[in-house]
Amino acid sequence: MATYEKHHAWSILLRLFHWMFALSIVFLVVTGFYINNPWTNTMIEGSASFPMATMRFMHYIAAYTFSAAVAIRLFLYIFGNAQERVWDILPISGRNLNNLKMTLLNYSYISDEHDSRLGHNIMAGTSYLITFVIALTMILSGFFMLYPEATFWQGWGVKVFGSQQSARFIHHILMWWFMIFPVIHIYLCIWNDCKGPEGLISSIFTGVKFKHKA
Amino acid sequence: MADTVNKTLDPQLDRRGFLKGCTMAAAALGLSDAMIPKLVEAAATAERPRVIWLHFQECTGCTESLLRASHPDLARLILDIISLDYHETIMAAAGHQAEHNLQETVNNHPFILVVEGAIPTKDGGIYCKIAGKTAMDILAEVAPKASAIIAIGTCAAFGGVQAASPNPTGAVGVQDLVSGKPIINIPGCPPNPIAFLGTVLHYLTFKRLPALDSLNRPLFAYGRRIHDHCERRAHFDEGRFVEQYGDEFHKLGYCLYKVGCKGPETFNSCPAVRFNDVDVWPVSVGHGCVGCSEPNFWDTMTPFYERLPMVKIPGAGIVDNADKIGKTVLGATAAAVGIHAAVGIGKRIITGKKSEE
Ligand code: HEM
Ligand code: HEM
Ligand code: SF4
Repeated sequence: MATYEKHHAWSILLRLFHWMFALSIVFLVVTGFYINNPWTNTMIEGSASFPMATMRFMHYIAAYTFSAAVAIRLFLYIFGNAQERVWDILPISGRNLNNLKMTLLNYSYISDEHDSRLGHNIMAGTSYLITFVIALTMILSGFFMLYPEATFWQGWGVKVFGSQQSARFIHHILMWWFMIFPVIHIYLCIWNDCKGPEGLISSIFTGVKFKHKA
Repeated sequence: MADTVNKTLDPQLDRRGFLKGCTMAAAALGLSDAMIPKLVEAAATAERPRVIWLHFQECTGCTESLLRASHPDLARLILDIISLDYHETIMAAAGHQAEHNLQETVNNHPFILVVEGAIPTKDGGIYCKIAGKTAMDILAEVAPKASAIIAIGTCAAFGGVQAASPNPTGAVGVQDLVSGKPIINIPGCPPNPIAFLGTVLHYLTFKRLPALDSLNRPLFAYGRRIHDHCERRAHFDEGRFVEQYGDEFHKLGYCLYKVGCKGPETFNSCPAVRFNDVDVWPVSVGHGCVGCSEPNFWDTMTPFYERLPMVKIPGAGIVDNADKIGKTVLGATAAAVGIHAAVGIGKRIITGKKSEE
């Protein structure tokens, strides 16, 4: 019987980030779809049910939550604990590249070896970094659409996106990432939890992971 | 002294029409009525600025809409406050005489340059030639001497429909070729004559160009989103939409968002200023906005009757709707997840290994 040790992996701020991020995305995707294709059609004139205005309002509230979450993560990439800093997951150092290779082999059932870490493995880390960059693009395109007449956003937005329509197009296409990523993400979390009793899923609530005693 | 009794102006333009035109321009510019006498004075001074109007790759629709305004005073006012030294559609001179007039103004006088139409740049610019010279050469000759350049219409501003992908003639707008000169874009297909008149009157009155947005469009005309001034906006917020052209909701005047209106992405004064002095604009007569005053509208706003452009799938040469592609990728992802899980379970059964403990 192996012995396990309790390790503190995630600060409370990171866990707060995770759930702000995940919950706001659920709202953003649902209301975003509605904005694209408002399928209810209020047929009674003067009913004042305001579905489109309400959906957009919810989209913007979720959008501010989402942006705040991304700001928290940016802070943690620089000032977080050892597992949270960006260097721990950037696939550039030899140590990290080796971890990426081993994780890929392990996840594709080719090898049983497993480069265990307290923080993210580099495959997961890279996907989180990609998600972070896409999230920034969602924020830029979103605020550009929200405040088209503000000089601050217009200056940026026109340079980056060209026009409102292109921003909207990019905003819409990138939305699909936030549906595809969670499918893989949640599956792999469950998969990992089945393979090794690290307590991975509970770690995103409690901040604590379990590791073999050396 | 302002010549408001109309001694030097076109005798067909009466004082009433003249003041009306100036007032319309003042309203479009957002000036207080206290400014109208100033505009009138500037418009009526004897010294009319010289204007050279160059036509390149275009349909002359901008000129047409300017000169054939249903209310003729507007066109006459424009032609009266400026001295149009060269304009291929309406000048009396022809051939060598016309070219001589052009040279004479360019070399000897300060002038404002108005460009209508895109400039083809491929193969040395041979796809548009006037008097044996390419549009590129003419622009390169005339533009450096102009005191300011007005690019009228989406073609001159951003390349227009001839710059649509794959842009066979390499058409571009004025701002892509000319630098170091103030350039004002008055896009639209066609633009509202009031936007042009307002810009010219602003220049005459204040001796400087109006404030511009980051695409060099005058803010007085292009500062607000169409969607935010639209008379159907209440229907949008209430979620009442036309589902199909000609359906009962169309007859009720509901919002055109679902049949592809690009009002939410387009900046122009159409809902406020309207066209042809009969108070209409596309949305008021039941057709969605197509976004004609935005860069690349011919590629990014099409299909005109759908909200978002189609996605080109690289290599396959197919275009498809973003959501259809998204659903396919999502489905493939779910299938891959299922296979991954099945392989894992299969392997465990075969090797008889348990997960680590
Ligand atoms: C994961 C994050 C997000 C997702 C999945 C998402 C999704 C969407 C979708 C699908 C649309 C409809 C576009 C269309 O097809 O017409 C939309 C519109 C919009 N989104 Fe987002 N969005 C996200 C984040 C944001 C953020 C951070 C902002 C920032 C303010 C924002 C602001 C907007 C605005 C202003 C619109 C246009 C609404 C309108 O014009 O009526 N979104 N979003
Ligand atoms: C019920 C749903 C979810 C569960 C159980 C869950 C669980 C987890 C766990 C266990 C981790 C840590 C994994 C590791 O150490 O590599 C994690 C991290 C992460 N999750 Fe989720 N997650 C869920 C939903 C989502 C959703 C919907 C998103 C966003 C689309 C998301 C985005 C992320 C990101 C970006 C990280 C990395 C955190 C970091 O930057 O350090 N999660 N999640
Ligand atoms: S018709 Fe077009 S511009 Fe008017 S409210 Fe609807 S979407 Fe907006």
